[in-house]
Amino acid sequence: MNSEIIKYPFYVTVHPFNGFWELKYEHSKRINLIISFIILFLLIMTNTLSSQYSGFVVNLYNPEEMNSLMEVVTVIVPVMFWCVANWSLTTLLDGEGKFAEIFIATCYALTPLILINLPWVFLSNFISLQEATFYYLSQSLAVIWFIFLLFIGNMTVQQFTPSKTVLTILLTLVAMGFIAFLCLLFFSLIQQIIAFLTVIYQEIVFRY
Amino acid sequence: MITICRIATSLFAGVLAAVIMITAEAGLVHAKSDGAPSYNYSFWEESVPAPAAYHPTRLVDGESLGIGAFKEPNDLHVTKDLDVYILDSGNNRVVHLDENMQIIREFDSFRLDGQLSQFVNPQGIFVNDEQDIFIADTGNRRVVHLDNQLELVKIIDEPESELIDDNFTFIPVKVVTDFADRVFVMAEGVFDGFMEFNVEGDFTTFIGANRVKVDPVEYLWKRFATREQRSQMVMYTPTELTSLDIDEQGFIFATNMDSSEAVIKKLNARGDDILRREGYFSPIGDVLYTRSGGASQLIDISVADNEIYSVLDSKRGRIFTYNGDGHLMYIFGGLGNKIGEFHTPVAIDRSGDEFIVLDRELAEFTVFTATEYGQTLNEAVRSYETGDEEQAHQLFQEAVDMNANLEFAYTGIGKALLRQDEYKNALHYFERSLDQSNYSKAYLLYRNHALRDNFSLIMTGLIAVTAGVLVLIYYRRKSKRKRGVTI
Repeated sequence: MNSEIIKYPFYVTVHPFNGFWELKYEHSKRINLIISFIILFLLIMTNTLSSQYSGFVVNLYNPEEMNSLMEVVTVIVPVMFWCVANWSLTTLLDGEGKFAEIFIATCYALTPLILINLPWVFLSNFISLQEATFYYLSQSLAVIWFIFLLFIGNMTVQQFTPSKTVLTILLTLVAMGFIAFLCLLFFSLIQQIIAFLTVIYQEIVFRY
Repeated sequence: MITICRIATSLFAGVLAAVIMITAEAGLVHAKSDGAPSYNYSFWEESVPAPAAYHPTRLVDGESLGIGAFKEPNDLHVTKDLDVYILDSGNNRVVHLDENMQIIREFDSFRLDGQLSQFVNPQGIFVNDEQDIFIADTGNRRVVHLDNQLELVKIIDEPESELIDDNFTFIPVKVVTDFADRVFVMAEGVFDGFMEFNVEGDFTTFIGANRVKVDPVEYLWKRFATREQRSQMVMYTPTELTSLDIDEQGFIFATNMDSSEAVIKKLNARGDDILRREGYFSPIGDVLYTRSGGASQLIDISVADNEIYSVLDSKRGRIFTYNGDGHLMYIFGGLGNKIGEFHTPVAIDRSGDEFIVLDRELAEFTVFTATEYGQTLNEAVRSYETGDEEQAHQLFQEAVDMNANLEFAYTGIGKALLRQDEYKNALHYFERSLDQSNYSKAYLLYRNHALRDNFSLIMTGLIAVTAGVLVLIYYRRKSKRKRGVTI
């Protein structure tokens, strides 16, 4: 049973239609969530390792700008934005997915990024500039595979037709833009309020 | 007990030494140079400290030469024999100095049809290898070609061609000649490039025009404007050139006020730009600058041997020197009041490994001499260009010992090591110079070598693994069949 659960993400990557269906209707949500978080964590690890240990011919990095916290943020934030935007849209568009289900499907779709990129962290240390083409090719393949899985996953979770899925995905991207804009606005306002309050406090302190 | 103590102290001393060594490694610049510290730009386009490569040694003005103060001198030229010609524009004269800045002669006129003809506000001077003197006599709208005895050879004025407008006025500003005695003139108000004249002084063609850059927004406006409105608008004109120099092979190096990457150009005979921009960034002077400060304005260029060239930035008074690949070697100079700083620098030329920088308003010139670091770097780049990699290796090593931030030097070291089949070491140096293509070349060699050396081991391993896998498969099948039979 346990090995079944661990193997399941691999099954989903190669049998997306069946895989996402069973994920939604037949598996325990708690275990699914745990696996999803593990996948997210592994992806963060992959990205961090890749930026630190990838071969020199494919990876020029400035050690002064290396920040593993940013690697965490660049994984978590887009996923959360995607899930929130997708959920907010599909609830209005008669989608059947719950938030947790959307999150689970999204995380399972990320598996190819780990499967392909993690071995390359090691392999890229043994290639020349000409052979780096294969590195970039497989990276693109990983992304295409991920997008395909995301599409199928979304379609299955929401029980949409393909065309409606495409439409919601495009709308989701727009909504993500809106969310990002609102977040920026919010933080900038908070910043200004804090600055304003500190100035008032300073004025009072200096005066009395 | 005593032995333990001794071991502890020696251990402690060892650790201390290691720590000191590490800090010495971490300290970016081993300050082992005279003169004010300078800077350079790293691969990441950040400014990093560097030791001074040049320091000012002499300040020369007209009075110290005993010929009366200079007045707005505009150009200077150093000949092959290191004689210096100063073009004292305000006094309409040319001052000829020897290598040690002792005066040889001065002249302000030449014999033309039996009469003395004076220069009027000349702006550019060039002396070719035969010691013939070319003067852009701007006020008289002519270029004067004199031989070394100041006898007139020819005068270039009023160029005629169907390429040139009828009401064109010829205002020469800078002049150079190549080994075939073609004359290249930079003229004011000409947007088509340099004017090329043949040996007889007849105009042949324009060369090296800057491309027009069109602002898309402005272009859109023009599309909607009527013809009358359009005629009122500013015309698109290519930026004007600011200076030129010629190298040993006859390639013209030109500077301009463009805001693109191509502020420095190396022109071949067809006028194509063939400057190598293989450095970490294009040669444009300062890489980092504030928006209000603006980019460097390169107003003069001087080409030395082995494709080393230097440009003068009038905005901040700095001199940037690049090697043939376009790597920034060193920066010195600046605006200010101390010696080695300028008010309005207008011209530079390289005299051997010294630099002479002419200041117009202060009417004086400064001689810069290479420091130990600068000299090492000059020699290293020279050896590298001439292909003497052994020598280059040693000199680059000395240079990086003085300046660990000198990234491109590691490429030089790496290449020498590669030539000696020290692949692994070479890899290390290419990584330090962040040179991916050379790293890749070295890596391929290293990998082939490693594979060949360990061929028997690798093959044995492979065969063993394959055999193991086959045996395993065989046994699993056998046991499965057995199980199948029992059930």
